[in-house]
Amino acid sequence: MSFIYDFITRDKKRKPLPAKDRSNLPFAKLGFSFKEWHDSHINTHKWRNRRWAFLIFINVLFIVSFAFDLSILEGSLSGSRLIGIYLMDPFNSAQELVIDNRVGYLAILTTNFWIGFFVIMTFYWLLGGRAFCSWVCPYHFFAEMGEKARAYFIKKKKIRDKTYDVTVKYVFWVGFLLLAFLTKQLVFENLNPVGILSRSLIYGPGLALIWVVALLLYEVFGIKRFWCRYVCPIGTTYSIIGDVSPIGVKFDLDKCGYCTDCQDVCLVPHELWFVKKGAATKEVHFTGGDCTKCGLCIDVCYGEALSFGFKAPSYILGGEVKEEKELHPLEVPDEEKK
Amino acid sequence: MAAKNVNISRRQFLKASASAVVSLAVVGSVAYYFKDKSEVEKTGIIRPPGSREEKEFLFACIKCGLCVQICPIHAIKLADWDSGLSYGTPYIDTNVQACDYSCDAIQCAETCPTAAINFQLFKNAGNKAIEDLTKKYNGNLPKNVNPFKVQIIAMKNADRMGVAKIPDSKQCLAYQGNGYHGKLGKTHSLLRPPGKTERLYIDEVDVNKEICDLCVAYCPIEGAIKLKDLGDKKFLPEITDACVGCGVCQMLCPTDPKAIVVEPFKELVNA
Repeated sequence: MSFIYDFITRDKKRKPLPAKDRSNLPFAKLGFSFKEWHDSHINTHKWRNRRWAFLIFINVLFIVSFAFDLSILEGSLSGSRLIGIYLMDPFNSAQELVIDNRVGYLAILTTNFWIGFFVIMTFYWLLGGRAFCSWVCPYHFFAEMGEKARAYFIKKKKIRDKTYDVTVKYVFWVGFLLLAFLTKQLVFENLNPVGILSRSLIYGPGLALIWVVALLLYEVFGIKRFWCRYVCPIGTTYSIIGDVSPIGVKFDLDKCGYCTDCQDVCLVPHELWFVKKGAATKEVHFTGGDCTKCGLCIDVCYGEALSFGFKAPSYILGGEVKEEKELHPLEVPDEEKK
Repeated sequence: MAAKNVNISRRQFLKASASAVVSLAVVGSVAYYFKDKSEVEKTGIIRPPGSREEKEFLFACIKCGLCVQICPIHAIKLADWDSGLSYGTPYIDTNVQACDYSCDAIQCAETCPTAAINFQLFKNAGNKAIEDLTKKYNGNLPKNVNPFKVQIIAMKNADRMGVAKIPDSKQCLAYQGNGYHGKLGKTHSLLRPPGKTERLYIDEVDVNKEICDLCVAYCPIEGAIKLKDLGDKKFLPEITDACVGCGVCQMLCPTDPKAIVVEPFKELVNA
């Protein structure tokens, strides 16, 4: 097991690069003070607005498809059909496969099941794993609102933040699969707030919503993003494939001013560990599997040090990425300075 | 200093894992306890046609609701916490809207990605019917024989959702020798009468029967139910082995409580 952990934390284990001098920070290079530089940035919430629009669009598409009997996006987030192409929830599929091996029903699983499973796995592998969470998952939307409510209560000093080890999600992931295997039942689907919320939106609300509301309240007043960060095995499945995904949030150390504002807005701050002064181990970093590709950090970044980018295959496998430095239009090349 | 940090994070991880394992164990035992509780036992609550045996159904169904979407008469619903079934699984309430097989292709089974509702069953039955038909005519089908109709009938008869029963014959209007005059049904439900191509709403149709035989007249399966003459102006529907338990008779039965009800078929034989 430890080699998997080593692989996931491969960049963190390297020797950190020396922190940049104050004169080398992007605002100093441009001749501004930090405050001037900071105030010149207007946050347009570009990616957040796009993301919320997309999330609402997808979920409305589900609702509309059922309400008006359109064959666009049928089913729910547990399993659906997009214009005839099946899409399967990866963790549900994994549970099915685990149970099936025991009772020999694997052969009966339909072709559509396999199509749905592989389509969704490939799609989210290409688009960065947990992109599902922030771009599609309706529970995430409410949890994000909950996070805002929580920030308000923290400001009022009613509650305090405490972080836990996120690797516990793998324990839950294996645990839920084991439970499916032992009880021969899709145990997780009974607790899955994503499925419950999706079904409630599409087929009408039910009593099961009580569980979702309870979870949300716990996320606001108890442990921050308890379900999403530490439990949800759907997210963990996406996190595993997202770690080797070709897309990620690219971090350019050269453009970073060490303000760590991105970590403050980030929904999974442990993924942006490299933005702290002297923490980066490479010139170019990409966020790992837990990054939901929400774009909040990109919106907030003053120096455009963060952007969506493609990882080179060698980066995915753990190697160094050598890239030519792009010069800022106002910046004077090093050679001319001399 | 570094070693100390590693120890702290390891201790934290072990602590979190321990609580994870404990909560998983609780969830697992609760799930195991309720597993045997979720059985289709109430009369009038049945699984969609072609559903696997309850125990297999519970792990095969991923609760996606595609069967709910595809059903043209909205007969299938998803179970909630209070319905006595496993949460999120599909069921048909035959009191409100029974399956009248009017989609002709058992679409809920065809659409199910995990074969919880097993389409293979219907496919095999349909194919076998066509094979038998071709054998019967030595490969030359006469023009008046429609192989698709034969196939559809064979598919309808391939699986039993339940079986109709008359718990108390004294309730039955025909047994009392009474007729029925009024609307075909009280609920706003859809039904395609046998032999017709269009569906109608049962609360919009008037019927006048000297002797009530709604369950017999509207049964979508040929030869599944007959009206037996008991003499002395007394009649009683008789259910044969052909009954697939679709529940149309229960939906249409005008008495309260219903004289004819559908009970889940326990000995489902799945291919």
